[in-house]
Amino acid sequence: MPIATTTGRVISYAWKNFARNAWIGLATVFVLVLALLSVNVLVGVSAMMDRAVTILEDKVDISVFFKQGTPDAILQQAQFFMAGLPQVANVTLNTPEQALEAFKQLHATDPKIMEALAELDQNPLGASLVIKGKHPDDYPFLLEALKNPQFGFAIESKTYDDHADAISRVRDIGNSGRLFGAILVAVFAIFSAMIVYNAIRVAIYTQREEIGVMRLVGASSSFVRMPFVVEGLFIALLALLISAGIVAGIVAGIQPQLVQFFDGADPGLRAFFVGNFWQLLAAEGGTLAVLVTVSSWAAVGKYLKR
Amino acid sequence: MITLENVSKIYPPDVHGLRDISVTIDPGEFVSIVGQSGAGKTTLARLLIAEERPTRGKIEIGGWDITRIRSRQIPELRRQVGVVFQDFKLLPKKTVWENVAFALEVAGAPTKRIRDVTPQVLKIVGLEEKGQRFPHQLSGGEQQRVVIARALVHRPKILLADEPTGNLDTINTRDIIDLLLKINAFGTTIVLVTHNREVVNALRRRVITLANGQVAADHKEGKYLLPS
Repeated sequence: MPIATTTGRVISYAWKNFARNAWIGLATVFVLVLALLSVNVLVGVSAMMDRAVTILEDKVDISVFFKQGTPDAILQQAQFFMAGLPQVANVTLNTPEQALEAFKQLHATDPKIMEALAELDQNPLGASLVIKGKHPDDYPFLLEALKNPQFGFAIESKTYDDHADAISRVRDIGNSGRLFGAILVAVFAIFSAMIVYNAIRVAIYTQREEIGVMRLVGASSSFVRMPFVVEGLFIALLALLISAGIVAGIVAGIQPQLVQFFDGADPGLRAFFVGNFWQLLAAEGGTLAVLVTVSSWAAVGKYLKR
Repeated sequence: MITLENVSKIYPPDVHGLRDISVTIDPGEFVSIVGQSGAGKTTLARLLIAEERPTRGKIEIGGWDITRIRSRQIPELRRQVGVVFQDFKLLPKKTVWENVAFALEVAGAPTKRIRDVTPQVLKIVGLEEKGQRFPHQLSGGEQQRVVIARALVHRPKILLADEPTGNLDTINTRDIIDLLLKINAFGTTIVLVTHNREVVNALRRRVITLANGQVAADHKEGKYLLPS
């Protein structure tokens, strides 16, 4: 049996089946689109949660303020020591002059502070170190490391805002969201499988006469089955394209609002979908293809018994 | 050659469709299988196209033991045994040409072969001018001829006709029987399942009479022996 001829006929029959049962097919497409959208909402929210945690984690640092008049050698020793720790991502040393300049810029619009500052005859600020750890869990260790007797005595104060509550809350929301989303996706997957199965069964029921004739005149089981499987794949492809279009539209639409919500930072939603486009397409398309193939295969099986 | 050896078919719980039947049909024969309702005619027809399996016994077609036939081998059998039913089983949304070509399409025949064979079989059954008509635009006899044409596209060695004239008037019945005789003259074995007394008596060919699932008579130039 020539493969090209048979493939052409299978696709032709599948298309005719789809056209004859257009409403059933479109209803199935609708349900699959809902299922795919729920999956994409889940992965999108998950990506945003991860991004929110990253943004918060980026904001965590330790600011170490040294006493006025601390010699440069001590400051550099502290910077060198801290920078050498494997837990440290980077260390920035701000000289008293830089600290004063930064302070002035920060309060440039506040005349009272600026006047008070002008009355002082010397720089009231000391040098400071800003230390960023590689991981939030490293900060307790870094705080201990700052007690090093070689420079610990010169430290006037330390500020450490770990944003631990915020990070924990975002993580909790993310985990709850993922759990709820996974349940939602599982429910949609089961509904989708049932609906696809029943849609194919209805399509087959309307064509049982044709199937009977096909069997009677010597069509192989696979030739009878394949058009229904391919029809299922048409439905899956259509659902995939529609849901991809909807997701692209929604992401483009809500990205500016999300930037505001993230306080000007990139929420990473668009980057996530663009960066993972092929992986998502392969995962969702592959799952859908397996779902419709198995459903169609099983649904036709009933009519192939002798 | 068709050989049935001690074939029985029992439907659960214990309804006997056929009881220990042994029959041999030679290549090129024209055999009528007659019997009253429930005699086992249709059961026998279904066994010959492997739509059912016998409970006991062995059936061979051209030396092929179809008692043990695998599911994937059934399409091959159905291309060797053409089937004609009383209720035509034509696809109403396809034209005559498409209905006949369909049998070749689903069997994976190349397009060129379909274009060659379809007009040939339509000519054999006398419908070469009506290829573009739909089944509802044909008479009952013409519809049955389309079915015969469809059964012939695979050039089967055996043509099984199960009550092919059951829905036809006398004139169309005569036409169909003449057509079957013509096909038989080409060398195709014809197995005609019928309860039409006039047809059987006019044929003067071999008649196997079934009663209660058993062979009640088997005559070379037989007649319809059963009461009306």
